[in-house]
Amino acid sequence: MNKHRADRLTAAGDALAYQKRWFAELHEHVAAGGRFALVNADTPHEILRAFDIPYVVNQWWSSIAASRSGAQRYLDLVAQEGLPRDSEQYNAIGLGSVFDPEPATGPWGGLPKPFLVMSDITGDVTRKVFDVWGEQEGITCFEFENSAEAEMEAEWWDDLPHDWERLAGSDRIDLLVAEMQELIAFLEKETGTAFDRDKLARIMKLGNEQAEWNRRTRDLLAQARPCPVSVNDSISAVMVPQWHRGSEWGRDAAKQLYLEVESRIAAGSALATPERARLMWVGRGLWFDLGFYRHFEQEYGAVFVWSMYLAIAADGYLRYGDDPLRALAARFVGFSEHLYVAPMSAEWYVHQARQHGVDGVVHLVSDDPRGNWATTRALEAAGIPVIEVHADNADESSYDVEVFRGRVATWLTESVLSSANVEQP
Amino acid sequence: MAPITAADALHEIRAAAERDAATHASDFVIGTVGQDVPLELIHAAGACAFRLRGNPEWDTAPADRYLGRGLDPATRSLLAGILSGAFGPLDAIVVSSDCDASQRLYYVLREMRRVDPETTVPPVHLVDVLHLPRAASTRYTAAKLREFLDVLERWTGTRPDEAAIEHAVAEQDATRALQRAAMRLRSAVPAKMSGCDALAVFAAADRMPRPRYHECLEALVAGAADLPALSGRRIFLTGSNHDHHGVYREIEARGTVIVGEDHDHGELLAERDVRSPGAPAEVLEAITLRYQHNGPTAQRASIGARAAHTAAGIRRTSAELLLSYVRLMDEAPLWDFAAQRRESPVPAGVVVRQPYGRIHRGDLDRALTAPEATGVNE
Repeated sequence: MNKHRADRLTAAGDALAYQKRWFAELHEHVAAGGRFALVNADTPHEILRAFDIPYVVNQWWSSIAASRSGAQRYLDLVAQEGLPRDSEQYNAIGLGSVFDPEPATGPWGGLPKPFLVMSDITGDVTRKVFDVWGEQEGITCFEFENSAEAEMEAEWWDDLPHDWERLAGSDRIDLLVAEMQELIAFLEKETGTAFDRDKLARIMKLGNEQAEWNRRTRDLLAQARPCPVSVNDSISAVMVPQWHRGSEWGRDAAKQLYLEVESRIAAGSALATPERARLMWVGRGLWFDLGFYRHFEQEYGAVFVWSMYLAIAADGYLRYGDDPLRALAARFVGFSEHLYVAPMSAEWYVHQARQHGVDGVVHLVSDDPRGNWATTRALEAAGIPVIEVHADNADESSYDVEVFRGRVATWLTESVLSSANVEQP
Repeated sequence: MAPITAADALHEIRAAAERDAATHASDFVIGTVGQDVPLELIHAAGACAFRLRGNPEWDTAPADRYLGRGLDPATRSLLAGILSGAFGPLDAIVVSSDCDASQRLYYVLREMRRVDPETTVPPVHLVDVLHLPRAASTRYTAAKLREFLDVLERWTGTRPDEAAIEHAVAEQDATRALQRAAMRLRSAVPAKMSGCDALAVFAAADRMPRPRYHECLEALVAGAADLPALSGRRIFLTGSNHDHHGVYREIEARGTVIVGEDHDHGELLAERDVRSPGAPAEVLEAITLRYQHNGPTAQRASIGARAAHTAAGIRRTSAELLLSYVRLMDEAPLWDFAAQRRESPVPAGVVVRQPYGRIHRGDLDRALTAPEATGVNE
């Protein structure tokens, strides 16, 4: 088997370099007396952008810490406060930063102290983590409710960009709009700046353009045979710009990714030759073992052609409409339901699996996300082999690389590569 | 009928509390999950509300297939009960958003009905009561309660009018007042009621006819002087909730009395009325506020609110030790404990990663004898 790997995406390298520069500038900004916010991924960052307040996404920071062996350091610091070390680590890693006696020695120079933390209260623990942040001197905690709908439509991805009022539900949108208005009032008082609705409208427009480029890229990759882009690269190339959503750089980075993917397809680039199996990774990224994906590309010719990061960037964020605040609320009402709550999540995964022509699905099951049974059931009912693997994606303390990869390898060999429609070496 | 004695009342309550299945065969029986289901609306619609709960003796394997094993075992056990028919015939199930496990249970039940036409799961509905103290959360919750009335009308054929809802509110508030009166028996010094019996008082509420339940509680309070005084170290129990008496029994078997708790199968159920002083005149608005501000539970309240509430409970009950019992896969109480310990006027101990319905003996011994040496990371 030809094990040569296509070169790393320029878009991924550029995104990471940009983020490093941006983070260094954030340090300078804070050192000069500036303020920044620490936010959870599924909150309306666009409000902060409208006030020119820089923000760091908690999950991004956790992924950086986890991929540079910093997770244990921060979880230990959390534990030293009498707080649980092994509870919702993906959120708690960031919290450890505020207890760090030597913050500058952390990954990327460490996380400075935010003046504002912002979270939705998904699950039972997220709000507790942010409560602790809010107890620290000089930090305000702003929480958004996590509303839930009794009935939902299973197939949402085509209609949601325009028909969000019906699909997300007016009650839920009303709630989030009111909460954002409260946040705006707080920020107006803190910054002495009036909220600019037109500026938010421009931010929404840029965010939609970014999502449109992501949708084009996702659709290109779905049709491409063989796959020219590793999932590691696509995650970096999509997620760094995602955290700069609503900026010109974010929009342009998404366009750059599209153009690069298009040219790779035209050049016939391949991650693996032959491409023996097309796999889908359902779940969060395995941040502490990113070599996992490349291992299966190189050793088995099994290519991960799908992760939720590009796919949700393509389908989850587009919201058109004249009222930017209401459209923004509709972007985040039930955002995680598309990923974790059936029927919305389950039917979307099946749709995505079919669009990408996958031969099998590796489904990472952690304790806190929901809907695992429904997702696996729906995929298997669609005739797609699934393996469920269990791990906390950000905490490697109970991870055994050999066992984990070995289970996937056995399943891949026995249930996917043996199938008649998969190309044999 | 001869007047009932306090001892007989307690005996009847204990027996009722043990029942798994609903016995109201002639009613439209709605199984409820969680503390945030507005019972008043169900009663006003002429239906019977029956709170579903797990049992540590049940095999959860059939439920684990749907919920996985990374979820509070009490909820997995509850689903096992639904799947096995342990609760008797249920015409519908209403789940509240009172914790993540309840919500996940709802999503599974909804999906089972969607994908399996042969399922025995009855119609299900989620009542999404929110708890942040904001007007926006109140408006949203009120909309969800109106939506619930529509669902009840569809299910039962009855749209309760305001008078019917007021009547149901008055009855439920009366039940809560009697429960609070009964709880004063165990917070008294010396205690006249054990923690096990207090738990049975709440568990029996929907497992016997309301008039008889009220008679029993009235007899219990009136006859308190005839009940034996309970000596033993006075414990205030926090942490996970308890839908089963197993843990209470093991703790009290060590010569202690659980004189108070702050979970939603215990005193939290009765602390707030709908028609409390200052409640709005409009009845649905009053119900909305009662449920929005109900608590504070570990899963839905802030660390600060929990710590303050627990400290007040310790003082009210003259407890001598704060004990936090934390069940496996129930992580919210782990985050509360440090602040609860800081604000507690008495020593505080914690037992973590405990199995559903039981408590590890060594952990309990340590928490009782050297509480300050315990912590959430053991």
